[in-house]
Amino acid sequence: MVTTQEKKTEEKWGMVIDVDKCIGCQACVVACQSENNIPVNEEEHFNQRRPIQWIRVERYWEGEFPDVKARFIPIMCQHCDNAPCEPVCPVFATYHNSQGLNVQVYNRCIGTRFCANNCPYHVRFFNFWEPSWPESLKNQLNPDVTVRSRGIMEKCTFCIQRIRRTERESGRDGNELKDGDRALNTACVNACPTDTLVFGDFNNPESRVSKLRKKEMDDHHGRGYKMLDELGTSPNVIYLKKVDKEAKESSTH
Amino acid sequence: MQEHTQLTQRQINEDLLDTVLSTPRWWLPATLVAILVFLIGASAFGYMLNKGVGVTGLNRPVFWGFFMVNFVFWIGISHAGIMISAILRLTQAEWRRPVTRAAEVMTVFSLMSALMAAPLVHVGRPWRADLWVFPYDFARGIWVNIRSPFIWDPSAVMTYLTASTLFVLVCLIPDLAVIRDRTKGWVRAIYSILSLGFRGTPRQWKLQTVAGILLSALVLPVFVSVHSIVSWDFAAQIGPEAWHSTIFAPYFIIGAIHSGVSAVATLMVIMMWVFKWDKYITRDHLDSIARLLIIVATTWFFFFFLEWVFALYTLEDPEIAMRDLQVFQWPWSGMFIVFLITAYFFPVPMWLFKKVRRSLFWMFVTTIAVNIGMWLERFLIIVPGLMRRGHFIFDWGSYHPSIIEILMVAATFAWVILGMLLFTKVFPLIPLFDVKEGMVFRDEIKIGRRTIPASIRE
Amino acid sequence: MVDSRDAVQKYLIGRHLEPRGSRFFIVSIILSVLTIAGIVGFVLRFQDGFGQGDLWGYYVALFAFIFAAAGGAPMVAISTRIAKAHWPRSISRISELFSIVSLFGIILFIPMIWILPDMEDGRRTLWFFGKLNVPSNLPHILTTLGLVSLVLTGLFILWLSLMPDIRFLRDMSNTKKGSWLYNLSAGWIGSSRQWFMQRHRIGILGAFYFMTLIFVHFLIAVDFSMTLVPGWIDALYPVTQAHNSLQVGVATVVLTMFAVRYFGHYQDYLTIDQFRGLGKLMFALSLLWFWFWFSSFIVLWYGAKPSEKSVLELLMTGPYIWVFIAAFVLLFVVPLFTMIWNPLRRSIWGPTIIAGCVFIGAILDKIRIYVASYSVIDQAGLHEIEHVPSTIWPGFADILIWIGGLAGCVLVYMLATRILPVINIWEQKELKLYQVHKKFHRIEVQVLGKPE
Repeated sequence: MVTTQEKKTEEKWGMVIDVDKCIGCQACVVACQSENNIPVNEEEHFNQRRPIQWIRVERYWEGEFPDVKARFIPIMCQHCDNAPCEPVCPVFATYHNSQGLNVQVYNRCIGTRFCANNCPYHVRFFNFWEPSWPESLKNQLNPDVTVRSRGIMEKCTFCIQRIRRTERESGRDGNELKDGDRALNTACVNACPTDTLVFGDFNNPESRVSKLRKKEMDDHHGRGYKMLDELGTSPNVIYLKKVDKEAKESSTH
Repeated sequence: MQEHTQLTQRQINEDLLDTVLSTPRWWLPATLVAILVFLIGASAFGYMLNKGVGVTGLNRPVFWGFFMVNFVFWIGISHAGIMISAILRLTQAEWRRPVTRAAEVMTVFSLMSALMAAPLVHVGRPWRADLWVFPYDFARGIWVNIRSPFIWDPSAVMTYLTASTLFVLVCLIPDLAVIRDRTKGWVRAIYSILSLGFRGTPRQWKLQTVAGILLSALVLPVFVSVHSIVSWDFAAQIGPEAWHSTIFAPYFIIGAIHSGVSAVATLMVIMMWVFKWDKYITRDHLDSIARLLIIVATTWFFFFFLEWVFALYTLEDPEIAMRDLQVFQWPWSGMFIVFLITAYFFPVPMWLFKKVRRSLFWMFVTTIAVNIGMWLERFLIIVPGLMRRGHFIFDWGSYHPSIIEILMVAATFAWVILGMLLFTKVFPLIPLFDVKEGMVFRDEIKIGRRTIPASIRE
Repeated sequence: MVDSRDAVQKYLIGRHLEPRGSRFFIVSIILSVLTIAGIVGFVLRFQDGFGQGDLWGYYVALFAFIFAAAGGAPMVAISTRIAKAHWPRSISRISELFSIVSLFGIILFIPMIWILPDMEDGRRTLWFFGKLNVPSNLPHILTTLGLVSLVLTGLFILWLSLMPDIRFLRDMSNTKKGSWLYNLSAGWIGSSRQWFMQRHRIGILGAFYFMTLIFVHFLIAVDFSMTLVPGWIDALYPVTQAHNSLQVGVATVVLTMFAVRYFGHYQDYLTIDQFRGLGKLMFALSLLWFWFWFSSFIVLWYGAKPSEKSVLELLMTGPYIWVFIAAFVLLFVVPLFTMIWNPLRRSIWGPTIIAGCVFIGAILDKIRIYVASYSVIDQAGLHEIEHVPSTIWPGFADILIWIGGLAGCVLVYMLATRILPVINIWEQKELKLYQVHKKFHRIEVQVLGKPE
């Protein structure tokens, strides 16, 4: 039996998002919806302000009319090391696991929505209704992912089911986890046409995310920043700001 | 106090046990209406249980709404009982005597209302809420997360409920013995069990008094902790910036006292109107409570001012945006103006006039106004606070309650009224023994031509 | 204990006019020497100039402490008068006399005008400097105004409550007509109108004094410490400081009461009743101290933003951790676990020792806050503290300044008691009116009148 003690170090999953490459195509959003059994967001949900989007591409306009630029920024759970959502949950439904992931235990959740209020990134979603799919989509549900009932919180898991499956299979075959393996990558990363999103292990110095972090965060000229860094949540998602000669400044927007 | 009608013990018994030993004509219809409203609210809750939290008006930025507002409101009202009973008992303020019982009973019922308003109802899966409030779920092998203010919350509220119920019961014992002696048959049997064999021996009186004083002293820390903890539900968070303020605990406490003492004043007026107990609750009592209210309200206003000053002091965008929302954006701006006027600028200048302090009608109007204002205050803290007009404009949203929420909130009000009505039928709402004790201690001394009220001290 | 009203007056005036023993003069001389040593200490410190804020932390702490203690002490008389209690009658003068010490504190404030930098350094301020068109030394102006009006109100209350007593004094001693003491009684003849006016003036001014006290502590707390620490946003802190002033004010009154009881031999007037009453007050105020401190702490600690963490490190867990722990123990733990015990509260020594603890605890608390705040004065314009400086120990000059400052206060108070009666005579006479002993069934009870 492969136990965790035999491993050298535990992984610390994280993501690097290059805002410069994002074209706002929403492919990641669709991929996430279908991978993670998220109910279809209909117009009514948006009107009620209750859509569930584990990843969302926020779009901001910059400039005055003829000279307008669209800015896109994909936002998902930042898997903070000091996550504000974790200490406030009365029933330990959300906690930090040993791989740096902020996980949500659906069975424990009773739906106080305290975590959602305390999340500065607004990435936690509440199931106001029992989820439902049109008849035609019933067979596309992912068997690896729980369908969440009403009354509980959910959020991006960094596609933990894919991580677990790859771990299981690599353990069986005796392979190491490969960085950038499509079976390991989250659904949004695989769907991104412009390579905006990079997923990987920050504890592995050879991984792409580690290299990007080293290049972009440590250097004075690096583009890397963490969203709402002043709150001290230390997110595991690093954003690379837009390269734009005309842009006045990078911002969290 | 200027009025000195010395009443005989017999008359006190007759007057104050009137509601228990005979039923006024309006009692049954009033009770039925309260039951009806409560049942409608309960049905609304059943509907929500069946359909999910979706039937409320809550949405993504505003995850807490009417229920939480009402939770804080009722917790606030419940602070009056202990404020009046314990603090005034410890400081030996004579005017507390006739109002203690009503205030304590209001504490108990409004705490129950608070429990109904939020924790049991507003969670996504209420049928699992017991795992949180009573975390004895050994099968899961997980203890609750004691770091969460939502664990401190039920612990504090339950302790407060237990303590204040005990307080009411200890203070009831001598009166129950009086009722026991005046009833017959099975009713007498029940009262004799409840009165725990109280016969009025000196030892029993001493134990009862000591228990009352000890409970007041012990319940005071609980009283402070309850609302502090409720405030930390909000202040501990960093998500909604405007809530993250150190002043929240004292600000909530003094606000709670403000609304609670006002509610007691309202209750006094109602008791004087409905039960004609104006020999016991006099205009002097109203005058004293109104003077207390001026001090409480002004202290509250000072904390309100500090909260605002330090919100602006931060000069941080989300904080300023929230204040802008509160003050300048319709409909919050309208509520804000109503809140300021009703919570402070209407009642307090009114109370400066002796005529108002001694008028039943005006005291009723002003104290009701305070509670309207304080309800709006909680609403304005919670809802615009959660709207978070900050970094993520994608998540800007508003909130308005659904009919289901309104019905359930109405039910919490009905519950308190119903509780008080049932209580008056079974127990005297003015403590007989306390009033009699006051009569014994009351004395006067003559200085030259003037007579000055005095009281006996050991 | 003397009985009739005239006897009370005669006894108290006689006691006041007794010549002081040699001990009084020796102590005064020692205190004067120590005060001069304090001035020497100030001169030593002054050679470094006002520019280096971190050197002046201890001086600012002394100033804040003296205003907390001397400003808070009169509140004992004011608040208990509003509550119409009878037991504090004999300590009202002891507490009001501290207004004279506040007057002495004003002298200590003068250098503060130069020590506190103006708002040009870009720090966060209450006055929205740069956003509103306010002068850059607005904190200095407002604090000066606040302090002066606080001291004037205090002195005015003292004078109002002195008027009848000075009249008694004038009548029963050979004070010459035309001397300043004679004039202080301002034509007091004790008409019912004068009594009415006096009572109302004291009431209104008392309320005003309380508000000014809160306002002054608000200004001192915010402008003289909080704004200097970047990232320190604590809306409760001004309240904490005002409360702390009341707490140490009560402790100071208890200590003074003890001294007056033993050195002035007023055992009949300063009895266990007074010690117990103030002991209860100290107990309640200690509980409140903990509550205020915890309310601040829990929010900052739970929030755990980097800015909040560094503020907590600076003020509590970092360089001043032992000062903080000592202050915490002396201000909260010791009073809580001792004053909860009835026999100790019902004694003379119990409340006095606890008051001493609170007194020392408050000194340590002020040192912790102000020395820490002034040690980061060079970072004031930043958004959050960049590095927490190490502990600043008091220098020789600082120790001299502290000793001199405290000695000066005691000296001023001692001299004041030499001139003005330290027990309030008219309030004692009034008590005789309201107090009646009666038989109630088989026991003798006291009946106390409560005028409307």
